[in-house]
Amino acid sequence: MAPNRWELLEKIGAYAASELPPDEARQVERMILDDPQALGLAESYLRMLALLGEEEAPQAPRAVIDYAIRRAAVSAFFRQAEVFFAGIGRAYVDAFVHYLGPRDPGPAGRGI
Amino acid sequence: MTFEDQNLAKKAAEGNVEAFAQLVRGHSGLVYRLATRILGVDEAQDASQEVWIRVWRNLPTFRGDSAFSTWLYKITVNTCLSTRRKEQAREAREFDEEPPYIPAVANVENDPETAVLARERREELFHALERVRAEHRAALVLRHMEGLSYAEVAQILDVPDGTAKGWVSRGRAALLVVLSRESDDGRSR
Repeated sequence: MAPNRWELLEKIGAYAASELPPDEARQVERMILDDPQALGLAESYLRMLALLGEEEAPQAPRAVIDYAIRRAAVSAFFRQAEVFFAGIGRAYVDAFVHYLGPRDPGPAGRGI
Repeated sequence: MTFEDQNLAKKAAEGNVEAFAQLVRGHSGLVYRLATRILGVDEAQDASQEVWIRVWRNLPTFRGDSAFSTWLYKITVNTCLSTRRKEQAREAREFDEEPPYIPAVANVENDPETAVLARERREELFHALERVRAEHRAALVLRHMEGLSYAEVAQILDVPDGTAKGWVSRGRAALLVVLSRESDDGRSR
């Protein structure tokens, strides 16, 4: 297929979707008036675009909503648990360091 | 709704599950609809679940520079495209000697035959969409089914405006070719 045939197909599509600038749109209009095949293409595009526009919107199944919320709840629980245990761990380490570090060794420890 | 969404997103990012649940209930339709249109019904449920897992995980990075719905569109499209990366080379870029043509269908209100034909056409549309290259399909869906502007399509797909326009244009032409072939097959059966 010559590339210009595909370009022509795209151009008529852009015309049918009202996306061409005015001067290009007039060119395509003239072509459509002169060429029955181009007219057929434009009509087909309009039918296809109408079909795309009227397509029904399906509702999300309940299972999708429930699953998403359940996963988030489990994830949030683990996040909180992680923060809680990390907090406990940090507090324990701090206490241990405090116990070992600044504790007064007493007179024996100071070599008196 | 946008301001409310931003607030809910902020709370959810801090671990508030109820705020996240409200976002899911409010936007699950958007995610599922988009996944159905890009991937088809069979894979839409798994993809939607994956989207919400990614949303929960990435909420702390959501700064609110764009609308929450735009951010959600982006995650949904990326999730759908990541399952479709392997299929890129199969889109039609040519048509036979005869240009593609979709015949008109008589539209009689409350006519059962019209309703059946309309349903068949929608099914044909879904099958045809699956044969359009994934990026082009996503751009086409966002532009012509979701009704977004090219600036929004470009932002969601993370490409320049010109690329978004090109993808929509190529997707539109490819869909017409495939749909025309499907209509021919349907008539010859």
